[in-house]
Amino acid sequence: MIQVLPRWLEDLLTVLSYSDELIAGLSTTLSLYFTALIMGFFLGLGFAIGRQYGGIITSRISTAYIELIRGTPLLVQLFLFYFFPYSLSATLELLGLLPLPLDWSIQIIGPGGQVITILNHRILTCYLMLGLNSTAYQAEYLRGAIASVSAEQLLAAQSLGLSRAGGIRSIVLPQSLRRVIPSWSNEAAYLPKYTVVAYFIGVEDLFAAAHFIVARTFLTLTTYLLVALIYLVLVTVISRILDYVHDRTKIPGL
Amino acid sequence: MEKPLLQVKNIWKAYDELQVLKGVSFDVEEGEVKVIFGPSGSGKSTLLRCINMLTPPDKGTVILQGTNLMDSDTNLNMIRSKIGMVFQHFNLFLHLKAIDNVSLGPRRVLGLSKDEATERALDALIQVKMEKWADHYPAQLSGGQQQRVGIARALVMNPVLILFDEPTSALDPELIGEVLQVMLDIAKSGTTMVVVTHEMGFARAVATEMIFIDEGVIVEKGTPRHFAISPETERAKQFLHRLEVLYGHHEELLEPEDKEEGNS
Ligand SMILES: Nc1ncnc2c1ncn2[C@@H]1O[C@H](COP(=O)(O)OP(=O)(O)O)[C@@H](O)[C@H]1O
Ligand SMILES: [Mg+2]
Repeated sequence: MIQVLPRWLEDLLTVLSYSDELIAGLSTTLSLYFTALIMGFFLGLGFAIGRQYGGIITSRISTAYIELIRGTPLLVQLFLFYFFPYSLSATLELLGLLPLPLDWSIQIIGPGGQVITILNHRILTCYLMLGLNSTAYQAEYLRGAIASVSAEQLLAAQSLGLSRAGGIRSIVLPQSLRRVIPSWSNEAAYLPKYTVVAYFIGVEDLFAAAHFIVARTFLTLTTYLLVALIYLVLVTVISRILDYVHDRTKIPGL
Repeated sequence: MEKPLLQVKNIWKAYDELQVLKGVSFDVEEGEVKVIFGPSGSGKSTLLRCINMLTPPDKGTVILQGTNLMDSDTNLNMIRSKIGMVFQHFNLFLHLKAIDNVSLGPRRVLGLSKDEATERALDALIQVKMEKWADHYPAQLSGGQQQRVGIARALVMNPVLILFDEPTSALDPELIGEVLQVMLDIAKSGTTMVVVTHEMGFARAVATEMIFIDEGVIVEKGTPRHFAISPETERAKQFLHRLEVLYGHHEELLEPEDKEEGNS
């Protein structure tokens, strides 16, 4: 007896038969995401501290960076960052100098014998630009949280003999890192979706995988719905985890 | 003659255009309780922060036990660890339990182990009768309890001098007594203190000298008795009169000598 599958299920199975592409795309997306998030966090913390506690120059530089990044489209930043080395290289060649080596890549052999590119100029550009972009947004969230810890507490720490840096480390940061979680969740939830810009310079992320599958199967709706669902699950899981962390680190009585 | 523990000489401090301190000088001998009072905005908090260099003066010298704090090669962190400070708004570390608020200094500054620091912190909490609340967070404590933890945080460092900046003025009237009592106990144990306060009852009980400050200068100095009976300057007279009208006397908040418990 032959059972006829519903049409949508059949389409879904067809799309899922490209699981290799989907998994490769998803892992690229995830690694772009986590790299940018972590890089953005540490650099953002640096900028936030620089803007809040730095001297006039440090604080100006931090502010300028944050405003510049937040005031321009990510895709434009990415294109500039991507094409600049090529223009530079061309200029160098015109001047009779050596061009920049931009077509390098680091590859590994996957379990199925396939060649996987883990890093090249495009991918590196994406990691850096997404990280540098996220830095600006995270810096603002972090600065807000740092500013919400009263300066008086830092004075109290200094009155005990702690250095300013010591006070920032033991008093201001533990409190601001707790307080930043709810607003920082925004960035953690936006960033997975921003990683699709990688597609526009030819990095094979999840979105690129979707394009590839659509080109082969013409199952536009099914493919994009599936991909949307994957982003949705990812973002939901991240938000839940952060809610949980926020709850567990709450300061009693506050 | 012994050198004073603290010498404040001709301190000047301005915030931009605003000249806040205009040549303030006084000495504090070991074991003394100096009470500073004066109108709001007269520069009292600024003066205290100049003493431990949290706000470095523009001009003048501060000498603690022979060390000039204005010298650029003075280790200010080390000096500050010897000067306790108690704040008007307590300024407890909100993410730390009472005991950890108190043990932070001994651990991070004096370099004691966690156990040693906790043990010392508990002793300090006992001194301010807050040992039962050791595991509470600041937000779970009343203002009076928070301020007693603030005092323990200063005491635990065994400072040579403690600065108090209006320690009771942010408190509800019914909570002032428990804090004043703790401060009296500390004063009577011989601790050197510089106290900015308008609690004339406290001053009368323990102050060795009172300093009246207005508009950044010392207007009048004298014993509590002097200010109670015969203040000389018109400004001091007026201010003391206003204080009495505004606050009344809080002496009744201090319990009689013979009773043991300061709070309850
Ligand atoms: N960090 C600061 N920046 C600018 N002005 C200040 C600062 N701290 C205090 N002032 C001003 O200096 C004057 C004296 O303040 P303060 O020392 O706090 O007086 P008091 O403690 O006697 O009320 C006030 O006019 C106050 O507004
Ligand atoms: Mg004040």
